[in-house]
Amino acid sequence: MEEFSGEEGSFNSEEASNSVKECIQSIIGEESYRQDTVNQWTAKIVEQALTLLVKQTKSYKYIVSCAVMQKSGAGLHTANSCYWDTVTDGSCTVKWENRTMYCVVSVFAVALTP
Amino acid sequence: MFYCAHENNLGGRWRFEGVRFKAAVVKECIRDILREQLSGVQYDPDEVGVLSRSLADCIKDKLKDVGFDRYKLVVQVVIGEQRGEGVKMAARCFWDADTDSYAQDIFMNDSLFCVAAAFGSYFY
Repeated sequence: MEEFSGEEGSFNSEEASNSVKECIQSIIGEESYRQDTVNQWTAKIVEQALTLLVKQTKSYKYIVSCAVMQKSGAGLHTANSCYWDTVTDGSCTVKWENRTMYCVVSVFAVALTP
Repeated sequence: MFYCAHENNLGGRWRFEGVRFKAAVVKECIRDILREQLSGVQYDPDEVGVLSRSLADCIKDKLKDVGFDRYKLVVQVVIGEQRGEGVKMAARCFWDADTDSYAQDIFMNDSLFCVAAAFGSYFY
């Protein structure tokens, strides 16, 4: 699901990925993991990412999910399986980390009827 | 925590057909699969990548069998090692709240935790 041709009717995952990276950086870029604020961070990240995507005004439904995990030496894996139209729909996943935490954001874009 | 914006930009008429994506039914499907496949499983960094992928495919196939014919499905599975670390997951969706929905379930044992979420988006 990595292809993006920039033509009408397909999801541009590179552009979405860049928007999401900026989002994450602006919200938790300088922060250390704190249990009492992580709720707000994940909520802000998904809301801001969703707002940026919707502003592109393409006819897509969006699902944005975000996981923030404290760095403690533990491993984390995510996997997605999607049943959709591979021509018009797409996804992108962004992995980000700093000294104290990991952040994984997944964006799924499902096209409305052509 | 989910916020669904009600937005239907078709303008034309359409009528809902098929089985509605009911969260309770889907949650039960997910729960059964997680219990069946993860009971007694230990976190193994070499295998967990394959395991999470196969769980996601398994859940997606099961949901297709249940009969959500008019839905596009997205299934996300997250598996992590249990070391007492803090994890927080959130999602937001921009979709038609009348037709679209999601379900999730969590499985934990001493060695790992697993979060599975399934999102259904109606195809008009």
